[in-house]
Amino acid sequence: MKKKGFVDLFFVFLLLYLFLPILATMFYAFATNWNKTVLPEGLTFKWIATLFQDSRFIEAFGRSVLLSGGAVLLALLFIVPAIFVIVLYFPKYEKWIQAAVVMVYAFPGVILAVGLIRAYAHIGVPMIAAVLGAYVISILPYIYQGTRNSLRNVNARQLLDAAELSGASKAQAFSKVLLPAVYPGLFAGALLSFSVLFGEFVLINLVVGSRFETVQIYLMKKLSTSGHIASSVVFVYLVLMGILTFIISMLTKRSKGAQKV
Amino acid sequence: MSYVVIEGLHKTYGTNAVLANIDMTIEEGEFVTLLGPSGCGKSTILRIIAGLTDPTSGVVKIEGKNMSNIQPKNREVGMVFQSYALFPNMTVKENVAFGLKMKKMNESEIEQKVKDALAIVHLSDKEHAFPHELSGGQQQRVALARALIVRPKVLLLDEPLSALDAQIRKKLQADLRSIQTELGMTMVLVTHDQEEAMAVSDKIFVMNKGIIAQEGTPTEIYTKPESEFVANFIGHYNVFTREELEQMIGKKLSGEREKFAIRPEAIHLKASEGDYRFKGTAKEAMMSGNVIRTVFQVGDRSFAVEQLHERQASLVLGNAYECYVSQEDVVALL
Repeated sequence: MKKKGFVDLFFVFLLLYLFLPILATMFYAFATNWNKTVLPEGLTFKWIATLFQDSRFIEAFGRSVLLSGGAVLLALLFIVPAIFVIVLYFPKYEKWIQAAVVMVYAFPGVILAVGLIRAYAHIGVPMIAAVLGAYVISILPYIYQGTRNSLRNVNARQLLDAAELSGASKAQAFSKVLLPAVYPGLFAGALLSFSVLFGEFVLINLVVGSRFETVQIYLMKKLSTSGHIASSVVFVYLVLMGILTFIISMLTKRSKGAQKV
Repeated sequence: MSYVVIEGLHKTYGTNAVLANIDMTIEEGEFVTLLGPSGCGKSTILRIIAGLTDPTSGVVKIEGKNMSNIQPKNREVGMVFQSYALFPNMTVKENVAFGLKMKKMNESEIEQKVKDALAIVHLSDKEHAFPHELSGGQQQRVALARALIVRPKVLLLDEPLSALDAQIRKKLQADLRSIQTELGMTMVLVTHDQEEAMAVSDKIFVMNKGIIAQEGTPTEIYTKPESEFVANFIGHYNVFTREELEQMIGKKLSGEREKFAIRPEAIHLKASEGDYRFKGTAKEAMMSGNVIRTVFQVGDRSFAVEQLHERQASLVLGNAYECYVSQEDVVALL
């Protein structure tokens, strides 16, 4: 009994330690003034409204969405079909993808940034394109795991065989049977990739520079000018990530339903 | 000419030969089983018939037509898989209707045919369920309905009952056979369960290491195994060398074969005219429902006897008994 009480207390302290800074940041985004009191002196939507009236934030948000979304879209268009073909028809080549996945984790962001600048800065490739390419590669682990697990969960090869023997062409089997069966897993992988890229700071800052403002760079600049606005940026970011996480968990539940088949 | 003809089928993966010179004929409306242990090549034959795997050499003909360059979707061959392979994003009704939709049949006709197919497999009340909401047995019935609805020329069944528990398996075996008889459909079943093969088949091909070890009706296969492999695989036969058996029965055997097989249930304790006689000591007994299997010891050799499980135990362990076997039940093996 005594032991259980200690564990509960430890757990409460751990939760406080983890969530207090986040809660405080969120409160600060809505606080009129919070300098000398334990709790905010009042609540206001002023900072959030100011943030959304700032065209620089809207532009930075748009750039982050475009850059992250674009990288995810490119990965879906080029990497996913390659993973489909390799997993379903040439599984012996999977080891090469796995090696590439490990390499993504092996390169620290700073080294990658220096490498990108040295490789592309002098041959006329726009640095933003180089970063976009690096983003596409950096989400390979999420896209690969999501796609491969979905294909395995639904026993994809057998689904294709069953569809073809029911009279479907290869294209029909792919579009009418396989894609709808694996899309929750694929979509979850894409959203996860998007949320990871949306929070990326190192590459974009080092390779393109802070003049190309994304949400993270905007946040860094605001940290030194207005704590309330910076907290509002974090709040918006957390809400967005919360929505993405909710969608991913819903989709994952759906994939698990399909897994029982 | 036979309905399905397989000639000179070879399949190798690298240097590993999976099938070697398979010849097979199947008549229209016949229920044929490919029986053998895992890895003997039986599922590969099924996939080659379906067009899902290309043979290294050899020909498959259905209704006299060479299938070599015909895509799976155009072969008019259906298949039921061990893991069901139901489309997880579709309801039972949509799964069953899939083949007809691919044929661009009109909606009202599809509706009627789906209803009929689901009635055949006793799943009329499940048409709106998703596959993950069904039991294994129900999922396999849906897979069967999906394959049957397009009325394939040949229906291939790749260990469809292996993942199910014994009771449901027995029920589905009976259903499978009655559906096949009712529709007069040619079916090819792959299984490693000899009881299942005996229960449903018109003809059995026993396979071992990529070749056909023996073919025949279930009775022929069971009562006249041609090799030690078939004897052991099909019915737990007692297999003796010539020397062992001659020693046991105290007589010289005719012919030149060196190995002989005797079914456990062909050995009995009452003499009939012309029977071979031998003595053995009952060592251990194992009851499996309606049958008791008793192991006898003769010198350093043992043999098994199977008897119907009767109320009064007829054998006492440790006692010696006179055993008899009809000469016809001693099968000479190749």
